Amino acid sequence: MYTKTYYMVLISSCFLFANEYGGYGWNIANSSLNIGGYLDMTYDQDREDKFLFNDIAMLFSATKNRFDLLGEVELSHISLDGKRDRSSDVDLNIERLQLGYALSDKLTINIGRFNSDIGYWNQAPIPILQDTTTQPHIISNLFPKATTGLLFRENINENNSFSITLQDNKDIGHQDNSMKINRHFGMAYHGIKDDLSWRFSVGRYRDSRDMIASYYIGIGSEYDIEDFSIQAEFFTQNSKKRDDKPYSGYFQSTWHFKESQDGVIRFESYDDNAIDIKEQIYLFGYAYRPTNNIAFKAEYIYYSKQPLSRYVYSLSVLF
Amino acid sequence: MIKISFFLVLLIFSLYSKELVVIGDKNFPRSSLSRSEIRAIFLDKKRFIEKEKILVMNYKVNHPLRLCFEKNILEKTERSLERYWRKAYYQGKRPPKIVSSINMLFLYFDSVHPAIGYSDFNNTINQDVVILYRVECII
Repeated sequence: MYTKTYYMVLISSCFLFANEYGGYGWNIANSSLNIGGYLDMTYDQDREDKFLFNDIAMLFSATKNRFDLLGEVELSHISLDGKRDRSSDVDLNIERLQLGYALSDKLTINIGRFNSDIGYWNQAPIPILQDTTTQPHIISNLFPKATTGLLFRENINENNSFSITLQDNKDIGHQDNSMKINRHFGMAYHGIKDDLSWRFSVGRYRDSRDMIASYYIGIGSEYDIEDFSIQAEFFTQNSKKRDDKPYSGYFQSTWHFKESQDGVIRFESYDDNAIDIKEQIYLFGYAYRPTNNIAFKAEYIYYSKQPLSRYVYSLSVLF
Repeated sequence: MIKISFFLVLLIFSLYSKELVVIGDKNFPRSSLSRSEIRAIFLDKKRFIEKEKILVMNYKVNHPLRLCFEKNILEKTERSLERYWRKAYYQGKRPPKIVSSINMLFLYFDSVHPAIGYSDFNNTINQDVVILYRVECII
């Protein structure tokens, strides 16, 4: 039953590409509400369920005067038989549910659950928005991917912004992997100069299971021109739990070598005391975007230590 | 021969060059904007001016004025705009409102304040608008 529905959504959404940039989703008549979504289907040699609907998500947003509402509700890791993580229960996760208010021309406040304003990758952590299917180690391991609390953002000017993230309560959604937090304080700065931009982030969070705090600090930079882009991020995390990550960083370059086609290379290195390993990962990828809302991707990932070297393929759609 | 070639180049240039002007409604709270402010407004990074929400208007894809605007003001290519708006959509940002003609832009200017758009300079003569920024574009 679910499988048929997923396939119908997949097939129909492929045809919903917009001629207008950013013209995704459906605008509900006589309202400012927009409803859309995205989905990803992957083939990963390393998984028990090789074919998976990795994510099927609904996005909704609305704006009224100084208020903005943004939501993302997701079903994830559904196998082809329609089961989620080998369970027949369908579990919806609130990835984001945030209400924003513009306090002034430059200052905004958001309340709810949002992607932590930390680093580059975490600003758009879904495959359709990235050039690769797999994510670097820093995501979900070095800092909380999402925060349930408050986010203050000040646009100092058109090219510089600063944000403060605060959480001192339970998470209203599920965090990926093992990171479950009930406290988070983070600060981030983002600057742009022509085609070059940079980010600096620092913060502290507390694990809700053992109430032990961890600290992180990171820098990143991106150079993005017409046919070529380079993105690099480097983080370090310190914790009293002896599972700290002395360093984790990646360097990724995308070359737009032909209409709708990109080649990607990524080099990644990390030292993770939680799994007691110093790993180096090399990724070679290819992405084909026949329309602006569909991406086919293939990549080979080589791990220097762990037996995780493999091919990954994906189809992702934004609608 | 060189003089004739130079004259022809100048002639072609003058025939095809246009002055694009970024314009606001007659009560627009500012008399000018910088290029980076205009970029921020049209990329939905800046929504308010003097505490008021701005109505931002654009033309359809491949409209000659829009091509000039994207090249000379936003300084972005079609591909980089596609990439930008994919991420922006996920972050809850929305592209400018599309108007089908310059006349429609002026109609919105009469009824919504503050509103911003762009036009070629000749179309703004005798119109009650504020010219916020000028740029030469070669089509």
